[in-house]
Amino acid sequence: MTGIGPWLVALIAVVAFWVDVPHHRFDFPFGCPGVCLRLGDRYYQQEIKTHLGLDLQGGTQLILRLRTEDLPPGSNTPLDTLNTQARKVIDNRINSLGVSEPVIQAFGPDKILIELPGVADIEQAQTIATRQAFLEFKVPDDANPGQFRSLEPPLTGAHLKPTFVTFQGQAQANPVINFEFTSPDDQRWIDLSKQYTRKQVEILLDGKRISAPEIREVFNSGKGVIEGGFTTQSAKELSLLLNSGALPVPLEVIQSTRVEPTLGADSVQKSLVAGAVGLLLVAAFMIGYYRLPGVLAVIALLYYTGLTYAVFRLIPVTLTLAGIAGFILSIGMAVDANVLTFERLKEELRSGKSLRNAVEEGRRRAFPSIAYSNAATILSAGILFYFGTGTVKGFALTLGLGVGVSFFTAVIVTQMLLHGAIEIPALRKRGLYGVEETSLEVRRATRPRPVGA
Amino acid sequence: MLFRIVERKWWYFLASGILIVPGVIFLLLGGLKPGIEFLGGTLLDVRFTTVPTTTAVHEVMSSIGHDEAVVQGAEGDRILIRTRDMKPDEIAKAQRALEARFPGQLREAPASSAVSPSFSGELVGNAVRSIVFASILIVLLIAFAFRQFGWAAFRYGIAAIVALLHDAFLVLGLFAILGYFLNVEVDTLFVTAVLTIIGFSVHDTIVVFDRIRENLKLNPGEALNPVINFSVMQTLVRSIITSFTVLLTLLALFLFGGYSIRNFALALLVGIVSGTYSSIFNAAQVVSLWQEIEDRLRGRPRAAPAPA
Repeated sequence: MTGIGPWLVALIAVVAFWVDVPHHRFDFPFGCPGVCLRLGDRYYQQEIKTHLGLDLQGGTQLILRLRTEDLPPGSNTPLDTLNTQARKVIDNRINSLGVSEPVIQAFGPDKILIELPGVADIEQAQTIATRQAFLEFKVPDDANPGQFRSLEPPLTGAHLKPTFVTFQGQAQANPVINFEFTSPDDQRWIDLSKQYTRKQVEILLDGKRISAPEIREVFNSGKGVIEGGFTTQSAKELSLLLNSGALPVPLEVIQSTRVEPTLGADSVQKSLVAGAVGLLLVAAFMIGYYRLPGVLAVIALLYYTGLTYAVFRLIPVTLTLAGIAGFILSIGMAVDANVLTFERLKEELRSGKSLRNAVEEGRRRAFPSIAYSNAATILSAGILFYFGTGTVKGFALTLGLGVGVSFFTAVIVTQMLLHGAIEIPALRKRGLYGVEETSLEVRRATRPRPVGA
Repeated sequence: MLFRIVERKWWYFLASGILIVPGVIFLLLGGLKPGIEFLGGTLLDVRFTTVPTTTAVHEVMSSIGHDEAVVQGAEGDRILIRTRDMKPDEIAKAQRALEARFPGQLREAPASSAVSPSFSGELVGNAVRSIVFASILIVLLIAFAFRQFGWAAFRYGIAAIVALLHDAFLVLGLFAILGYFLNVEVDTLFVTAVLTIIGFSVHDTIVVFDRIRENLKLNPGEALNPVINFSVMQTLVRSIITSFTVLLTLLALFLFGGYSIRNFALALLVGIVSGTYSSIFNAAQVVSLWQEIEDRLRGRPRAAPAPA
């Protein structure tokens, strides 16, 4: 391992360390906390911090009430159906906000209880949870000029493909929301454009007009845009709300409180100590059993832990106990990759190979096991992440990322350290690698080996 | 030393059967008790003058038969207690127990509401579907690793899935037994524990199989059983050390972690031990058995015994 490799590994270590250090600000070049990137019209800003889930950190609890008195007269949907529908919509919205693993429960017949990890952006969370996001398109009312009337049945945002925000106008400065109707409303939209060409239609959100564009030509698809004098933020928010569906009934926040971790603060504390004790035991065991390679493995594991934690902070991954379980499993697999390599190394040394050959051969022969077992885990984690919900998704994310990083550290970093160590004369004693100094008697000990092995 | 690991396979299958069958019986008896996250229940909102620790409140709830209670502190000296569905007389009983333990500390009678499940069966359904899908891909992956053996490659993948089911059902069965006799409930953490065990199981099995693959390649013409014996022995130290390091962490979590984490750590402990057992004593033996059945059907002589 020569050339650029060690420098790359060292650079990654420095970046990871920088990301791991808590509470720092980085104001260059955009003057914002964390990392900021601008790619075309996409603006990415990420504050670097550890996100902990409700079970470990607590968060904010909102109690919402279904404002059934605001329902149009004559609607007779049962209360529990409304409640279930509303929870489904809120769940969609909160998930697309990227908040990990919220608790959403019916709280009595006419209320909903939501718990969100952390306290940031509670106002935004309240808006997201309570805005009905009921989109309606109205057409000119011939009976009352200047007025608009609903179509029969009303043309609403119920059949829309996922909407998205783009920019229009001078200097691409005006955010607009692009929508596209799906069947059967796409045909109605085309028919509407035929019937009302060169006339104004009205677009309403929650009963308020957000724009009244003129139809300039007959459409040939279900596509359209909403211009509403949005800011980038409000356009994105509305797009998110439209994509998650409208609430069946308006909601109001009747209580908002800070809550402690569901696992209990003392329980979390104890578990953290337990986890640390466990990892120290693992380190002590690795060094005691494998000697010098053990020391190198512990260095590689520290590197691994630091790098994975940095990845978790950057993405960001919300850590819950389930997520930490995924992380611990990935540490286990990182240890395993080292154990596989070192056991091979010992075998090769015992078969009488020189240190350098043994290290190279150990790597070469341990590699397929490490690659296939990690591939299986990453594959499963990917599937669980894609199809999973809530807790399972969080677990799959930490496991998949953890194993991915572990593959890098176990295959590249440990090998680099091993190759570096055997170049130092003082570190070339076979005893340091857990093998007896003379190799002859060892050969006997490894018998029987299949013929030709 | 060389154990006759393949030759004694029926003993190992028997041992697995003895451990798994009772659990499966209790699974069928409905022993696996879904927790309040899946069932919903009652939420008690208690206001204190001096807030006790959540551990102390949990002890009180345990003493009146609500070990499943999830206790959470909240702003304004409040404690939220989520339990199974409680009748009004049970709520009164809980209030009396809390007043007895924290005399004069309760500001008013606890407010109670019915809460719906916070996790739907959807979560479990999705997880199960994902596992089935992932298993198919794992069979294909392992078959790809063994592609030089032609169609026989698939039996390695299928054997890995057998080992996976072994470990999953052992833990599910254990918790069905615990649920049946001690009312231990399973929550979303349990779901992730089972997923972790499955991941570990496949990982462990693949390492053993990879060694078999390598040794088969190094010794062309050698019968399967001796190669399996030898390969399992070669990976034995590694299997035990890897499991041991994971167990160290879990044992620390089980012994020193808080009450809410204990069942989680227990599931993982049992599952990891089972995963190690099945990768040493079950997975390769399934492949061997498959080979022997095939040999018998085709009238080939039995594989020669392994060299002692």
